[in-house]
Amino acid sequence: MVDPRMPSDPVVPSYAEGGSLARRLAAELWDHLWPWSRDGFRRHKALQAAGMALGLAASTMWVIAALGHLAAGAVIGAWFGWSVFEVLVRLGAKPYVKEGPWWGRRYRRAGPMDMLCYVGFKNLLIGASLFLLLKAAGMVVV
Amino acid sequence: MRNTACLLSLLLCAVLLGTSLAAHADSYEAALPPELSSAKRLCDYAPCTEVLPGATRFSERMGAPPYVEGYRGDGASARLVGYVMLSTDITDTPAYSGKPVVTLIGMDTAGRFTGVRILKHSEPILLLGIPESALIDFNRQYIGKFVGDNIEIGTSRPDEGVIGLDAITGATVTVVAQNQVMMTSGTAVAQQVGILEATPRPQARFADPAGTPDWDGLVADGAVQRLLVRRRAVGLEDDGEPFIELWFGALDHPRIGRAILGEHGYRSLHRQLGETDHAIFVIRSGGAESFKGSGFVRGGIFDRVQVRQGRDTFTFRDLDYQNLYDLKAAGAPAYRESAIFIIRGKGIFSNAYPWRLVFLGNRVDRATGERTFANFDREYWLPEAYLEGGRPVVERPDPTWLKIWKERAPAILGFVALLLATAAVYASRDRLVRRSTHKNKWPVNGFKYAIWVLSIGFVGFGLLAQPSITQVLTWFHSLLFQWQWELFLSDPFIFLFWVFIIVTVFVWGRGLFCGWLCPFGSLSELLFKLGRALGLKHLQRTPPKALHDRLKWLKYWIFFGLLAVSMIDMGLAEKLAEVEPFKTTFLIGLFERSWPYALFAASLLGLSIFVERPFCKYLCPLGAALAMPTTFRWFGLRRKQECDSCKACAKGCGSLAIDRDGRIDPRECLLCMDCMVLYYDDHGCPPLAQERRRRTRDGCDLTPIGADGYYIPIRPVPADGSRR
Repeated sequence: MVDPRMPSDPVVPSYAEGGSLARRLAAELWDHLWPWSRDGFRRHKALQAAGMALGLAASTMWVIAALGHLAAGAVIGAWFGWSVFEVLVRLGAKPYVKEGPWWGRRYRRAGPMDMLCYVGFKNLLIGASLFLLLKAAGMVVV
Repeated sequence: MRNTACLLSLLLCAVLLGTSLAAHADSYEAALPPELSSAKRLCDYAPCTEVLPGATRFSERMGAPPYVEGYRGDGASARLVGYVMLSTDITDTPAYSGKPVVTLIGMDTAGRFTGVRILKHSEPILLLGIPESALIDFNRQYIGKFVGDNIEIGTSRPDEGVIGLDAITGATVTVVAQNQVMMTSGTAVAQQVGILEATPRPQARFADPAGTPDWDGLVADGAVQRLLVRRRAVGLEDDGEPFIELWFGALDHPRIGRAILGEHGYRSLHRQLGETDHAIFVIRSGGAESFKGSGFVRGGIFDRVQVRQGRDTFTFRDLDYQNLYDLKAAGAPAYRESAIFIIRGKGIFSNAYPWRLVFLGNRVDRATGERTFANFDREYWLPEAYLEGGRPVVERPDPTWLKIWKERAPAILGFVALLLATAAVYASRDRLVRRSTHKNKWPVNGFKYAIWVLSIGFVGFGLLAQPSITQVLTWFHSLLFQWQWELFLSDPFIFLFWVFIIVTVFVWGRGLFCGWLCPFGSLSELLFKLGRALGLKHLQRTPPKALHDRLKWLKYWIFFGLLAVSMIDMGLAEKLAEVEPFKTTFLIGLFERSWPYALFAASLLGLSIFVERPFCKYLCPLGAALAMPTTFRWFGLRRKQECDSCKACAKGCGSLAIDRDGRIDPRECLLCMDCMVLYYDDHGCPPLAQERRRRTRDGCDLTPIGADGYYIPIRPVPADGSRR
């Protein structure tokens, strides 16, 4: 039976039930940063996805580099390429997103658009933070 | 079918691009000759005669900052008729685009502006939205006005001596920046040629705290300041070294003079200074660039450093220079270049007031190789303890963005009140929907319609505060390349709107903005409701759900397309962003715009009478951008288990956001609250109505409806009266 109270079927990741707050936060942090799972490694399609994503990343990188923003373009392009790759990896390995308040424990199955939104938003925050950090440290030139 | 959506978006982009190219803007990102900013004969590369009518011959660049003299006639009969200046020789004030508007300005010998010509601008609003002629008309207002007048944007205030200029609606930031450019440039030249007399300043009376400080002590006191220019600030690759690092300070003050030069050196310098002269020292401790300038020649001027105090600029000639051989202050950094400069103050310069050391340089655009003028400065003000009676009170002019906030304070308060009221109404939705029924939704809709009307009239047409995808693209670029708070603060309504949008998208989803507050969205749905009220209901159509589910992806493709294009060419992305009819509807007006845009906007509004919010559902890239984070909104709408088979809500959902399983797609939901009204309506919600009928038939009480959308259960009480 479908539960209409959630936009998709509920899922419970192994770390979501029980455990202390610190343990759960650590597990969530790991979940955000590590897109792979044992299940995911068993699938071959990730390999194809990697090739496709890397090609796209390289194209983006070259286009931007050709415009004279080599260093910054390389960073943006590589991060964009990785994000595409991560969407595909997560759909196979960790196909769920959080539902409702971020401090809650409700998760649901992620469709491609859910995963695109999740990875896009997460990597925008991570990418912007790292990019600004590198720029402030003078390690990337804009 | 997604391919169809993709093709449709490409087709739309092509149509927009075509119309965009048709709308030609003369000086938008115009290619200027590289000699314009460097050649001695400026007027060989710029239309000087246009801005200084009557002049037949022009001099080479002269002065600091540079200007050109214009003469009528030749030889001995030649008569000086005025001056021509290139704005970017004098100031690098950025406009809305973050880049300066390159302006050629003419001024006669009496200090009256004779002509203004925009050579190049990068203002996106003037590319497609507002015609470039609006800026030309704005500049015409300067002609005949005296450079020493107090000219401001807005209404004239004769009692305060303020001459007001009419702004360009929708381009306030551009004209505020342009006014600053005009007045700064005109004043800089008028002072050099003696049209404007500088105002004398009261001279400093030095206090002399005991002891001789070392270098660190001077730095800690603020008696020595550092001006650092990084390589990336001038468009060069960072290699860890600064472009230039300067330390400087006032040598007039005995405490500083003795610490830097030693007792003998200070006395010697003091003997050489005239009564109104002042001395400063400058050393270069980092970077390979010389602050004296490689082109310096005897008799010439130092063109890389100058001192500014208020509107007065002090430059240095060779006679104003002395060698500085040694720094006596213990702990002073190693340096590669040093100088003592004498400010010929003539009573105008005063150490009692703040001044700035300015380093003049060029910034290289790494993409195009184009050089633009740039200046870098650092304020210096003798510490409180170094002045008898402390520092005088100085009224500093407000930054441009703050002026705008102050001028529009009442409207800002009204706008904030509207935003807060809307959030408060939505936060009270549970109470409001419980008071409504499927036949009478006024407790919710009364507020919603009032907010729509305010949004259209006050926010859209009044404040021109229509958020746009171009702002998302600009922010994305600013985040990556150069963040300028001033740029975002310069439009208070858009800034506040975005703060509201970001917060509410994460709390409730994009629906509160899109469904309640977006001026265009409100106008679109209001037209639909009006159409219904005017008897056009039989002509109104709802797209089949299957078609809607395919077409809804179009807006995401448009958003991603714009984002991708903006990474390559921001100007092109701005043109393509015309897929939003916002500029046409609110900023410029349907009847003011060229016909392709007016037709596009009018078609969308016309279609809105027959189809609910077609633009919002299928085309709006801003809606798509906001829909993505809506995936993670904290608080969604309520559902009950029976919604999986009951279609009552789905049938009435104007956003078509409820699928066949009764699930709400938060990305598509515009929070109209119709489903929430049904949720608590025991005559409208089928499972609730069924329970009501059952209870009525069985003679049971109709208990209140709980948050779960069901009657609170009736629990049998044991016959003995004890509570369980």
